[in-house]
Amino acid sequence: MSELYDLLQDINILTLLLLVPLIGALLTFFSGKNEKAARLLPIVFSGLTLVLASLMLLGFDFGNAGINNYQYVEQYDWVPSLGITYHLGVDGISVPMVWLTTLLCFLAILFSWDVKNRTKEYMGLMLVLEVGVLGVFMTLDFFLFYIFWEIVLIPMFFLISIWGGPRREYAAIKFFIYTHIASLVLLLAIFAMYFVAGGTSFDMIYIQEQGMDWSIGFQVMMFLALFFGFGVKMPVVPFHTWLPDAHVEAPTAGSVLLAGLLLKMGAYGLIRIAIPTLPDGARELQWLIIIVAIASILYGALASLAQKDLKKMVAFSSISHMGIVLLGFATFSAVGIAAGVFQMFAHGLITAVLFMVCGVTQHIAGTREIPKLGGLATKMPWFATFMMIGFLASLGLPGLVGFAAEMPVFFAYGFMNGAWNWLILIPIASVVITAAYYIWSMQRVLFGPLTEKIDTSHLHDVSWYEAAPLIALCALIIFFGLQPGLIYDFIRPVAEAISALVPMGV
Amino acid sequence: MIPQEYFLVLSGILFAIGAFGVLTRKNAIVVLMCVEIMLNAANINFVTFSVFSGGAAGQVFALFSIAIAAAEVAVGLAILLNLQKLQDTIELQDLNLLRW
Amino acid sequence: MTFVEYTWLIPLLPIIGLILAAAFGRKTPEDGGYFVIGSVALACAMSLLVAYEFFTGDGTPVYASQVWIDLGTINGVQYQFEIGYYVDYLTALLLIVVSILCTLIVIYSLGYMHEEGDRKRRYYVEIALFITGMLGMVVASNYLEAFIFWEMMGLCSYLLIGFWYYKPSAAKAAKKAFLTTRIGDISFMLGIIALFGSFGTLNYHQLFDPAFTESFDVNYWMLLFAMLCFFGAAVGKSAQFPLHDWLPDAMEGPTTVSALIHAATMVKAGVYLVARSFPLMVHTPEVMIVIAVIGGFTAFFAATQALNNFNIKRVLAYSTISQLGFMFLALGCGGYIIATAGADEHLLEVGNTGYMAAIFHLMNHAFFKALLFLSAGAVIHAVHTEDMRKMGGLSKKLKITSLVMLIGALAISGIPPFSGFWSKDLVLESTIAAAGVNPWFWILYIAGTVTAFLTAFYMFRLWFMTFKGEESEAAHHAHEAPASMWVPLVILAIAATITGLFLLMPDGGLPAVIYTVSPEGLAIPGETLGLGWIEKFFTAWPTYVSLAMAVFGIGVAYLAYYKKTLSMAFYTKGGNKRIYDVLQRRYYFPEFYDYVGEKGMYGLARLVDFIDRKVVDGVVNAIAAVAVGSSGRFRKAQTGMTQTYAAVVVAAVSVILVLLYIFAGVR
Repeated sequence: MSELYDLLQDINILTLLLLVPLIGALLTFFSGKNEKAARLLPIVFSGLTLVLASLMLLGFDFGNAGINNYQYVEQYDWVPSLGITYHLGVDGISVPMVWLTTLLCFLAILFSWDVKNRTKEYMGLMLVLEVGVLGVFMTLDFFLFYIFWEIVLIPMFFLISIWGGPRREYAAIKFFIYTHIASLVLLLAIFAMYFVAGGTSFDMIYIQEQGMDWSIGFQVMMFLALFFGFGVKMPVVPFHTWLPDAHVEAPTAGSVLLAGLLLKMGAYGLIRIAIPTLPDGARELQWLIIIVAIASILYGALASLAQKDLKKMVAFSSISHMGIVLLGFATFSAVGIAAGVFQMFAHGLITAVLFMVCGVTQHIAGTREIPKLGGLATKMPWFATFMMIGFLASLGLPGLVGFAAEMPVFFAYGFMNGAWNWLILIPIASVVITAAYYIWSMQRVLFGPLTEKIDTSHLHDVSWYEAAPLIALCALIIFFGLQPGLIYDFIRPVAEAISALVPMGV
Repeated sequence: MIPQEYFLVLSGILFAIGAFGVLTRKNAIVVLMCVEIMLNAANINFVTFSVFSGGAAGQVFALFSIAIAAAEVAVGLAILLNLQKLQDTIELQDLNLLRW
Repeated sequence: MTFVEYTWLIPLLPIIGLILAAAFGRKTPEDGGYFVIGSVALACAMSLLVAYEFFTGDGTPVYASQVWIDLGTINGVQYQFEIGYYVDYLTALLLIVVSILCTLIVIYSLGYMHEEGDRKRRYYVEIALFITGMLGMVVASNYLEAFIFWEMMGLCSYLLIGFWYYKPSAAKAAKKAFLTTRIGDISFMLGIIALFGSFGTLNYHQLFDPAFTESFDVNYWMLLFAMLCFFGAAVGKSAQFPLHDWLPDAMEGPTTVSALIHAATMVKAGVYLVARSFPLMVHTPEVMIVIAVIGGFTAFFAATQALNNFNIKRVLAYSTISQLGFMFLALGCGGYIIATAGADEHLLEVGNTGYMAAIFHLMNHAFFKALLFLSAGAVIHAVHTEDMRKMGGLSKKLKITSLVMLIGALAISGIPPFSGFWSKDLVLESTIAAAGVNPWFWILYIAGTVTAFLTAFYMFRLWFMTFKGEESEAAHHAHEAPASMWVPLVILAIAATITGLFLLMPDGGLPAVIYTVSPEGLAIPGETLGLGWIEKFFTAWPTYVSLAMAVFGIGVAYLAYYKKTLSMAFYTKGGNKRIYDVLQRRYYFPEFYDYVGEKGMYGLARLVDFIDRKVVDGVVNAIAAVAVGSSGRFRKAQTGMTQTYAAVVVAAVSVILVLLYIFAGVR
């Protein structure tokens, strides 16, 4: 263990990670009429969180990285009579997610520099959202997990319903009800597992150890409930329709966090809770997970091809790419799980670029309708570059981060034991469809003669506060595309341990 | 000594009259008065049981209850006065602004 | 110090040029072009040193690599992918060809792109990235690494075809190129997965080691599938039937790009991939038949479309497709012979000749096709049109260009002593050899021979239409290109003249090298004929057949387009116009692609979108509507009347009291 690790452990780094944005949120809410403070405070606080998370990343102890070997653990009694504790800890799966969360929050806040309407509430809600997401990724207690899970919903609801587009109320309510129903099913499952495990502790590790002995029938039932609860969040076909609406209406930064982080919570829940706790149930339902994953991949890709709204297209592509995460998990092999988690990380980076690009389009051209755009590369070369990097990364171009996730998923699925691995042809074919919609939309938006359907006289290239996050993200996309091993080193030990839990012989 | 049952029957009758008034009358002041009648029915019961069981607690409760009834009437009448001022009515069926 | 150990530096050098050009391009002359030229020239020097050192060494492959991703293990198989370099004869030869061509074409760009203004920087950056991709693909040490560079080339091809992105046709062509090759790319991915499934590694040095591969009990069909997939990738990248249609459209890019990417290097990557996988492919004769048939058919099929095209670059593009078909034909025939030869030493050697023919033709074609494209570029530069009908009589103004282009045309037509003659004849010879094993291959020989006639015809049609005849409007203002353009042309013309003669060099020179390019494990005692090749060529009848075909083709073109004594009107007018139309419409392939794309894919997408909005979301909204509707009904029960509520409470309490009295015995 390094000195840095000890130091961070001593200062309770994980609690600090939750406190810093929370304090930032409170300060922002009560920052009065000072516009400048309402912009700078969140940047400072989310930046500080990012620095802390980076330190945590650096201090991570690779020598001690198996399952249930959580690091920076903090545990205090909260409600002893019910067995609820304040229990935080991170391992190789959560560390990249935590870092991604702090990064995206910082960049999204920076990107929102020009928000004029109720700035301090907007920024404050973003920081509250950060607290919630960080909590989900760090907590090791079911009760606390559920609380953070629900905390995330509220700021997102307000972000959509106050700063959203024309149909914001419909979208916000749909988002809220949809994901809330899923949360309730999740809550029921959590309580069921809590009581069956003895009703003495909400601790994830404890319940997971009990879970091994549960009967197949109960495991299958619980897994179905958890799969529904997490699947809606991911989202998977056919429970995905809240996503396009929410994305289309949400403000840009909201979309970035929604796609970049909130969707990851669903996948994280599956790999952190559902699969390790209920290995037999997961194995019994493998066929279902595979079908859902492949359906999501193909369906999302095809639906994207048909969209005319740039942002809606990107939203559907998220469904397709989260399907790849699910497909990786469905193999229950070390490689598949590791690649799935890496795809979560990669998709977080890529999708942030994509939504920011959509936001810039809306902001500068005044519309996101693909048929109305055209030839933007002439007037907006930087914008075109960012869009291209984002799109190409998303369609899985080697050397960019998306490929380093997709290809191993295909490897893992192709070598899964069982008669169904020829189905790999469908996800691989959808790679072409993915390329088709990205390349086609790029042709229509960026290339060709400058559009005459909108007023192009005032077109200008991206502003500094839009360019800075985009540059950072594009650099990371290229960097991790060339050096994916840096992240895989975190994930691999945990993935191997989880895979060993599921008796698949794979 | 008058038997206990007499007091209880009286209390019952008063309570029934009060309840009937509360449920049927349309004027809010009358309803308020009926509520008072029901309260007094309860007071009679308190005092009765207190006397017949030998403790003083019931009578203390009755005193509290009378005090609270007075306060309640004050608040209630104030609300009704405001209602009269704002809505020009204290008929209960007309006060449906918050319905549906 | 040994240079080979620094092979990894070769693809990295152009990256340095790229970064410099991107960062400081604005402030330097030619917008960073000199940075790129410098770095590419360095890479070229390095390549030549590596190749020289390798050729003078003992010929065992040199490789080194390090772990790129470690994904963990499944069933004891380590999912570990490496990145590194692998140098053998094939690599070394390709390094020479690619790096020399890249250098020459970048220098040529100085003149050709001079008037492009501030777009030049983008051009040089993208070209540098492309060169990285190509060199990286050549030196890659395993299939996954090769795939990464393969895609990098595809990206640059996309960007450079769309260099004039404001032209809708360019944007459309770029899209088509990317998507069509992407179909090949997923085939590559599948192939990689299947191959990894067979051997648990992707490293060349293991896969090409017979001792290693024979220790596996490989599922034959899995291997077959993997090899077929690799060929599928080559079909996409090298524009073979049925994925050929993007290459003519790709001519929307600048001519230098067409010369470098779509003639000399990137489209050769498919051939390289098949040649690279040859040691594995020879175990699967079925795949070899597929390769030979597709190659032979494409050679003929593409040549026909060049016959009546008026765009100078598109004629060359079709000719590129056709010549690539020749290479696949040779690979397929040679491989088929080896696959069926068993232990027959003689047949193995004959088969190896096919392999050699393909590589030899790859090298020769790279030089003369780059020459032809760059000459065409010089013409376009002079007359500002690509339509050959508007050219004519240019030979007086463009003396150098017309001369070097004539050399190129002679080379591709197969006239000795120019390079194309030697390699094309070797290709046809290998089909005859294969026909000795399986008579069906005679069909491919005939296709190849007819293609030789067609090639000679359309190349000289092009040359006569451009340089001879009456002086056209455009020719009046034409002037010879600057030195940065014609110097590379002359170098390439010399190369196109002499590369074929390398075959005749005595023992120890390049012929031995080309001959031993043959894949490891199949090496045959080197038969170095030297000048003996001449005797071997000119004592065999096929040589005279193909020579006659070439001369015949040139003659027809001479009569039809120079003397004008032979009229083509029979084919261009009236009832016989049908064939002409079909060729003009490119066998309706663009329509077919559009139909599949628009009606098929997009239609399906529209259907899914419809289902999504009406069915899936419809169910969601219906549930919501039911909830809202029923709540509208039920809320009427809340009258808002306190008295009603109170009445219900009183009634309920009364009922409860009565019930308690009756049933629970409360007294």
